[in-house]
Amino acid sequence: MSEPTLLSEMPSLSKLYVNAAAMAAKGKVLRSEPVVALPSRAVEVRGVRADLAKVTEFAHLMGEPARDLLPSGYLHALAFPVAMTVMVQDDFPLPLLGMIHLRNQVEHVAPVLFTDELSVRAWARDLAGHRSGTQVQLVAEIHNVDGTQLLWRGVSTYLAKGVFLPGLDKPTLDRPTAAAERVDFVPPVPTAQWQLGVDTGRAYAAVSGDFNPIHLSVLTAKALGLRRSIAHGMYAASRVLATVPQSKPHSFNWDISFDSPMFLPATVSLEVLDHRTSDGVWLSSEFTAWNARSARKYFSGTVTAA
Amino acid sequence: MTTPQATASANQPARGATASEDTASTGKVATPLFAAPRKAVIVGGNRIPFARSGGAYAHSSNQDMLTAALDGLVARFGLADEEIGEVAAGAVLKHSRDFNLTREAVLGSALSATTPAYDLQQACATGMEAVIGLSNKIKLGQIDSAIAGGVDSASDAPIAVSEGLRAILLDLNRAKTMGQKVKIISRIRPKDLSPDAPSTGEPRTGLSMGEHQALTTAQWNITRQAQDELALASHKNLAAAYDHHFFDDLITPFRGLNRDSNMRADSSLEKLAKLKPAFGKSLGDAATMTAGNSTPLTDGASTVLLASEEWAAARDLPILADVLDGEAAAVDFVHGKDGLLMAPAFAVPRLLARNGLTLADIDYFEIHEAFAGTVLSTLAAWEDEEFGQTRLGLDGAFGSIDRAKLNVNGSSLAAGHPFAATGGRLVASLAKMLHERGPVDGRPARGLISVCAAGGQGVVAILEGR
Repeated sequence: MSEPTLLSEMPSLSKLYVNAAAMAAKGKVLRSEPVVALPSRAVEVRGVRADLAKVTEFAHLMGEPARDLLPSGYLHALAFPVAMTVMVQDDFPLPLLGMIHLRNQVEHVAPVLFTDELSVRAWARDLAGHRSGTQVQLVAEIHNVDGTQLLWRGVSTYLAKGVFLPGLDKPTLDRPTAAAERVDFVPPVPTAQWQLGVDTGRAYAAVSGDFNPIHLSVLTAKALGLRRSIAHGMYAASRVLATVPQSKPHSFNWDISFDSPMFLPATVSLEVLDHRTSDGVWLSSEFTAWNARSARKYFSGTVTAA
Repeated sequence: MTTPQATASANQPARGATASEDTASTGKVATPLFAAPRKAVIVGGNRIPFARSGGAYAHSSNQDMLTAALDGLVARFGLADEEIGEVAAGAVLKHSRDFNLTREAVLGSALSATTPAYDLQQACATGMEAVIGLSNKIKLGQIDSAIAGGVDSASDAPIAVSEGLRAILLDLNRAKTMGQKVKIISRIRPKDLSPDAPSTGEPRTGLSMGEHQALTTAQWNITRQAQDELALASHKNLAAAYDHHFFDDLITPFRGLNRDSNMRADSSLEKLAKLKPAFGKSLGDAATMTAGNSTPLTDGASTVLLASEEWAAARDLPILADVLDGEAAAVDFVHGKDGLLMAPAFAVPRLLARNGLTLADIDYFEIHEAFAGTVLSTLAAWEDEEFGQTRLGLDGAFGSIDRAKLNVNGSSLAAGHPFAATGGRLVASLAKMLHERGPVDGRPARGLISVCAAGGQGVVAILEGR
């Protein structure tokens, strides 16, 4: 990979969303030849520090005590503006607005304190066909400030629905269709239930800085083609992480796949299963969430001791 | 020797009618029917630095702070995934949603989720009562290990809706028809919308704790200079303890704070003398209590790990001290018979008597500095012949203490006083001091803790070093 593009400071997410909207408009008008390759440069910001007040609000929103250690979900939020900068570059082939979050795979390698000075780097990879569009992976890495130790690494998979780029492999259809999967899902006995109000997206936006319009209100969501606003996938992931046993080591991995959007308001049923050694030491947790009324699966995943 | 001014103010009538009635509270020294089956020991403690309210922990909840103190204790003693016999802690200023504050903190900690926990609250004596109650369970063999704790946030204090609005909202909840609801809502007046914040005032007297102590301080003729000297000693002693790394294994930093933020190592009598009286201003020249010789509102949390000797030994954990015994007392402060914070003056003589000890048998005194005047009034009462005879039922004065043994590593005036967290701070620190001291004249070093509390209460305890 070539040298990363160094940004002097953490980009502002609200400006990035405005840029994305402008690009979306421009793309529709001007981009006659679609770009089918990903930008090769990574984007990096050095000397990043957490905002303690935001960390505290973030933890409280997730229902966990605010610690000096940064929640894994907060680290995603911290790195997100850098990943988004990658996606609003002129040569990024997919429209950022309206992209759907499919999956997050995170290696939380070492504990990160709110006082730690960090460096955040992000790049895109694996542009690929999907049965309903084109998917891409955004990799975000958080290192200590001199870049010598990897602390956190997240791979987010996004889908640009309805965008089919020439030259990409046609999606294979040997997987069961989404509809078939839905039929196969039999909800287990829930271990918890979340009542998500219509303000859930706004509340998460306030603590994470992710003001993607699809999360904010019915109107802004409708502007992007959704019937109602939806909860952030990372809100769900962070809330699950808050409930997973705190005895989890400071080094752990988590993986969440999103099956359907959580339209707000929502009643989310959740099952979390813990796996432990015979001595009671936590090994991993599996979680599944579904719509309490329709039994439609929302998301599922695992948290595993590293 | 100072004679207490029984008629210091209209609120302070001449004390009790008869000697027998007066000494009733100290006449009953409870004695155990049998010796405790086994000992309860202090393994160690952990607290977060105490912060002046509105400071480093301004946005931290009680649960954040209690969890932080617990996290540090778990890390220090390797308690991850351990099922503790019971955890008891509390907060004085507590949100109603935090009814299970301690259990929630346990669930949020690395302790096994099968660790039971309960909340308790005895005002500023909360932490002390947690230690004594849990120690008793260990002594009885009901549990083998325990964590006692306390937390308080004056910054993140609960604020309730006004009584008027509360009544309206409850009625609204019971209303069945829209017509009823509209009628009830129409009862709301602007004054109902002003919130109801907690205060440190005593419900029965309307006086704040500081105003109460100001009366007691004047009653016992405690001088401004004596109070300022005690405050200065507290700051100097606490700063020296930090310099000697005394707190290195008692404190875990939190929110960037490494030391108690109220501590003023560079304080001086001159600086303290410049402060204007903050309490008892109605006393005129007799007003001696300032912000310097009173504790500020503080945020913080503390925890103490208690165990049976076997439990500690099986895990190769240290044993710092034994929890020998504890005692609670209360005074009738409402009509001024005794000062609000004078209950320990009665509890300590009873506790020592039960254990066949005198003040001379104690090597360290930890007398909680709610106000410098509280400590000095208590000492003055013990040194007073009349008080000893008429109130404690003794032949003369209860006795005096060697001031070199008092609060040697600083106390609440310097560290601050997050109400329910003070007991845990005192117990963990004293246990370590006694352990470091080693035997005195062939017997274990002994320490006495005395904590006064709102409502005219006090809880005191004796620890013995290992």
